[in-house]
Amino acid sequence: MNQFGVLFRKEWRENLRNYKIFWIPIVFILFGILEPVTNYFLPQLLDSLGNLPEGAVIELPVPQPEEILQAVLGQYQLIGMAILILAYMGSIAGERKSGTATLLYVRPLSFRDYFLSKWLMAGITGVMSVWLGLLAAYYYIFLLFEQVEIISFLQFAGTYSVWILLVITIVLAASAAMPNAGMAAAVSLALVFFMQIADSLLGAYWTFSPMKIPAYAAQWLYGKPDMSDYWWTLALAIAFILALLFFGIWMAKRKASTAKV
Amino acid sequence: MTILEVRNLTKRYGEQVAVKDLSFALEEGTATALIGPNGAGKTTTLSMLAGLLRATSGSINWHRESGVGFLPQHPHFFPWMTALEFMEMAAKLSGVHSKNALSQSKKTLEFVGLGSVQNKKTGTFSGGMKQRLGLAQAIVHEPKLLLLDEPVSALDPTGRREIMDLLKSLQPHTTVLYSTHILNDAEQMTDQLLFMQHGKLVEHGSLGEVKERYAEPRIRIRFQTARQAAAFAGQVSWPADLDGSAVELAIEEEGDTAMKKVLAKLADTSEGVIGVEQKTATLEEIFIKVAGGK
Amino acid sequence: MDQSTIVLLLLPILFIQLGLMIFALVDLIKNPNPNGPKWMWAVLIVVVNIIGPILYLVIGRRNY
Repeated sequence: MNQFGVLFRKEWRENLRNYKIFWIPIVFILFGILEPVTNYFLPQLLDSLGNLPEGAVIELPVPQPEEILQAVLGQYQLIGMAILILAYMGSIAGERKSGTATLLYVRPLSFRDYFLSKWLMAGITGVMSVWLGLLAAYYYIFLLFEQVEIISFLQFAGTYSVWILLVITIVLAASAAMPNAGMAAAVSLALVFFMQIADSLLGAYWTFSPMKIPAYAAQWLYGKPDMSDYWWTLALAIAFILALLFFGIWMAKRKASTAKV
Repeated sequence: MTILEVRNLTKRYGEQVAVKDLSFALEEGTATALIGPNGAGKTTTLSMLAGLLRATSGSINWHRESGVGFLPQHPHFFPWMTALEFMEMAAKLSGVHSKNALSQSKKTLEFVGLGSVQNKKTGTFSGGMKQRLGLAQAIVHEPKLLLLDEPVSALDPTGRREIMDLLKSLQPHTTVLYSTHILNDAEQMTDQLLFMQHGKLVEHGSLGEVKERYAEPRIRIRFQTARQAAAFAGQVSWPADLDGSAVELAIEEEGDTAMKKVLAKLADTSEGVIGVEQKTATLEEIFIKVAGGK
Repeated sequence: MDQSTIVLLLLPILFIQLGLMIFALVDLIKNPNPNGPKWMWAVLIVVVNIIGPILYLVIGRRNY
């Protein structure tokens, strides 16, 4: 019996019919394009807005293409993460709350397949959105500024994809553990943002933590991160993802009886 | 053959006891009605039997491999899914081979009368259609045991009759346990009655047994006028109650004896009699008695 | 870079923003049961650029 296939098909249909698989990538693409475009027009914009005395010249340093790509990442770290968390906060908690889960749970359901089918669907959407967005940014930076070396870009985007998977795993595990979508989102946002802040404040004391992935991803643009720290960070992130997957599956099963009958 | 046996089933929520020491058995191929007032613990009991809730203590013995179907009181479907898509998913998750899942789903939708709307999204379905789809998803894998929580209470009389007829046609291949507070329905299809109140089983047995237990040996005689009724009541030596133009006699006798005596008496003074009947208690009267008495 | 190329580069931004807005509005009109009053979402979608439609899609939409 292949429950994973059946359940993944359901998730696929759902994401198709609530259009998540279309609009989430489009929003990431939009933010990917906006960053290089604003940078390109910033001098002209300041020129037309400011009442500068005659003869004053604004000298803005032309941003490096790598810096713009890093700024796109900054946008994703705020708005992008919030969108992914809000889009998938109800994956499990919402099904339990609305009562739609009951007709699944009453069957001999594999909670592992149930959880993993949702995780894979959200993961595909998240990683695809980030790649499309970053590629759009890459193309615009190439048109308006200079080309970023393609290998550097691939290392940058590839490293960042691990971070996206971690965030997706956090939100799905939270959705399995929390009684409703709102609390799942609150817990995920707190984990993703506050732990990053904590890492940036105290992170000088250690060199590897999953929270440093976005920073290490950006370092690929300028050279390469310390490889030992880098691999340890990735290994730790993957360990986190695996632990959260087990936790999420366990919680999905444990909390099944809280589904509305 | 016993298909399901429940012993001392108990469910507590903190201090509150939802179900207490419930014991009963279901015989294969029978229909059992679980009745009782709101809050009696019917839904909690069915949820535990369906495996959605874990019992605090007690045991439920049955052959899980023979399959169970469950219809919650208010089934919720994914509104963006069509009826057929949902059925196919339900069938596969219940273990129907993927080769047969689609045909089995179509067949079941036809059976419950949703064949013509199988490609409509369930979000557009009316309450009655959802109830039918709920029944369909519960029986698509041909389970031996069917658990239904208030399967007809949300429907109009026509819809109720149709669903009850569908349920009857599932017998005797399927053992049915259903809760209801519509006693008329319970009377239509039941081999066994389980009467719950405050989480406990307060009465059970076949419909006939329960009725006999609560039957009062009363004979009702209707007259054309109230005056004739009163006159007759004055003549008899049995305890008699006047009820408009009718008299009810309470005679403690075995079997037909009471009726024979009444008919003999009426042969002498039968002025204005238009009907004589042996009264049997309706389930509703029993319900009120049980619910009020204990 | 000449003017027409720049306009071509800016067009996708305009398309996406307008597209998101129109898509969210059409979905709102068809939505039988949004999470909150319809008029409020309509105002938000039209007035708050980008974020309005996104907020509607993640919070206001609910599956239907």
